[in-house]
Amino acid sequence: MVNQPLKFINHCIEEYALEASYDPGTDTGSVIYNLSFVRNEDFEDVLPIIRKVFGSGLSVSDRILFAGSGEMIGAVRVPDGCAGVCTVCSITLDAVLLRHGVPLNPIGGGMVEMEKGVPLRFTNIILYRDTTIDPLEVLISQGTTSILDVTEHGSGKILANIREYHMEAEAMAGELLDEFTACGFSGILDVGAPNVPLLGVPVRPQYLGVVMAGGTNAMAAIRESGYRVATEALKGVMDIREMNHIRDY
Amino acid sequence: MSGTFSHSERKYIEILRILRESRQPVGAKRLSELMAEQGFVMSARAIQYYLRHLDSKGFTRKVGNMGRVLTEQGLSETDNALVDERIGFIISKLEKLAFRSTFNPETGTGDVAYNLSIVREEDIDGVIEASAEVVRAGCGFFSTSTVTDDDPRVPEGHTGLITLCSVTLDGVLQHMGIPVDLEFGGRLAISRDGTSAFTDLIRYQGTTIDPLALFISAGLTSVSSVIAGGEGVVLANVREVPYPAKDRVEDAIAQMKDCGFAFPEGVKSHSCTIPEHPYRLPVTAYSGMNHIANATEKGYEIKTEIGAGTIRFSKIVDSI
Repeated sequence: MVNQPLKFINHCIEEYALEASYDPGTDTGSVIYNLSFVRNEDFEDVLPIIRKVFGSGLSVSDRILFAGSGEMIGAVRVPDGCAGVCTVCSITLDAVLLRHGVPLNPIGGGMVEMEKGVPLRFTNIILYRDTTIDPLEVLISQGTTSILDVTEHGSGKILANIREYHMEAEAMAGELLDEFTACGFSGILDVGAPNVPLLGVPVRPQYLGVVMAGGTNAMAAIRESGYRVATEALKGVMDIREMNHIRDY
Repeated sequence: MSGTFSHSERKYIEILRILRESRQPVGAKRLSELMAEQGFVMSARAIQYYLRHLDSKGFTRKVGNMGRVLTEQGLSETDNALVDERIGFIISKLEKLAFRSTFNPETGTGDVAYNLSIVREEDIDGVIEASAEVVRAGCGFFSTSTVTDDDPRVPEGHTGLITLCSVTLDGVLQHMGIPVDLEFGGRLAISRDGTSAFTDLIRYQGTTIDPLALFISAGLTSVSSVIAGGEGVVLANVREVPYPAKDRVEDAIAQMKDCGFAFPEGVKSHSCTIPEHPYRLPVTAYSGMNHIANATEKGYEIKTEIGAGTIRFSKIVDSI
C-alpha cells in the first residue's frame, strides 16, 4: 500500500494546469479529459443520448473520442466488452486561465437547478479544497440529476462547477471565454459580477464567478436512461486533435 | 421560479426545516419556541407573517386550526435552497449531536448518538444479518444495531434500524474537556495484514451532502470483501485534537473498546495518508454507516438519517 498524503482536487487542478497546453485562440494543444466506459451492446442506444446532451449545450465542448475494446486511452486499456468514451473535462477552462496568469480559484462542483434553459442556483456543492475525489464523479451516482428533462424542456438538475477569478483580469479572461465559445466550448452557463454570489455560491472580494456545465453530464444522462456507465473524472491530458466533433458520429 | 429564497431569507428556510422534522402540523406559538431553539428569536405574530408568505409561495399549507404542514414543494425547497449555508449545516448538526452525547466510557452510562435507517419490513432480517457480519469483521463502530418500532419517523410497512453514530466519540472527548474538530469522512482501505490507509477524504466543512452517504451511494465501498477476505474499503471518519491530548484520547478509546466500540488499530498507523498538521492529532473511528454500506452492497434499499438523535446507551445494550 502506497502511503503518500492524499491530494485534494484543487491541487490536482493546479498540477493539470501545468500540463494542459490548450490554446483556445488556435484550437490546439492538450485538454484534460474524463474517461467513461459503456457496454458494447448498449453503444448504439447510448450514442443518441450523448448527441442529445451535447446538442443541448450541457457538455463542456463539442469534442469527443470513442475507443473500442482493447484500444489504449493514455495508460488505460479499454476493457473487453466495453467502449471507452472520452469527453473534455471542464477543468480545462481553469487550467487555461491559470496558464495565462489569471488569478483564479477553482471553487467546487455540484448540481445546478435549471429552469427553462436558465441556470437558477446550485442545490448541492462539494468544495475542491475539501475533497480528494472529483465532486461530479460522486454526484453522478446520487440519482438526483435530471439531465434528460433539461434536454427536453429546459428544466431539471445538471452537474456543473464553479471557479472565481480576480476582476483585475476581467478583460483577459473575458476574451479567453469568448475564444472558448468560438471553439465549441458550449458549456459556459453563467458569468457573475464582481463581489456578487453566483447561483447562490459566494465569491471572494473583487472576484467574479464562472459556472460551467460538467464534463460528465452525458454520462449522467446515460445512467438516467438505465444503462450502466463507469466514469472517472480528471483522467489525464490529450491533444485536442485526437478528439472528433460529435457531429462526425 | 418565483418561489426561491435569497440569503436574507434564511428564517423562512429554518421554518420549513422545522416543519419537515415534525410529523404533525405545527402552530405559530410552538414554531416560535422551536425557532428559538435554533437560535432565531421571533414572536408568534412575526411567525404568522412568515407563514402567510410561505403559504402564498405554495411551500406550506394550513391544516384546520392545528397549524401548518409542508407541501411537496416545500419539502424539496429544504433540500435545494441556500447552498452556501447548507455547507455548514452538516457539521453543525453533528456537533449538536456530539454535545448531546453524554456517554461516559468509564461507567458505560449516558446518551449516545445514533443513525436511523428506514428499512422495508421484508428486508429487515437480511439487513440485520448484514449488520452483524460487519460487527464480526470488526469494522462496525459498535457491536450491535437495534430495531425500533415506535419512532414516528418510520413510515408504514418499514422498520427503523438504529446504528450508533461515531460522533459519540467526539462527544466523549468533548466532555473530557478535549477540544475536538470533526474533519473528514473517508474511505479507509484495509489490507490483509491488518494495516489500513485512507484512499479518499471529504471534509465535512466543504459539502452539502454527508460524505459517507455520498461514498455509499456512489458504490465506492467494499465492506463485503473485508468480511469475506479481510481486504477492502470501509468507511471511517477523522477528527483532530491537540497533540498534547494524545494519552487521554488513547485512554478514552481503550475504555470505549471495553464498552463494545471498535476502532481501527493504533491511533497513528493508518493516518499516514491524511495531510499532516504539525500540532494536531488525527483520530480515526469506524463509521456506524459500515453496517448500512454492507447491506446496500447486498442490494437492499435503505434510507438513512445520519445523526438522527441521541439515545440512552443502556437501551441499546439491553436490546442484545
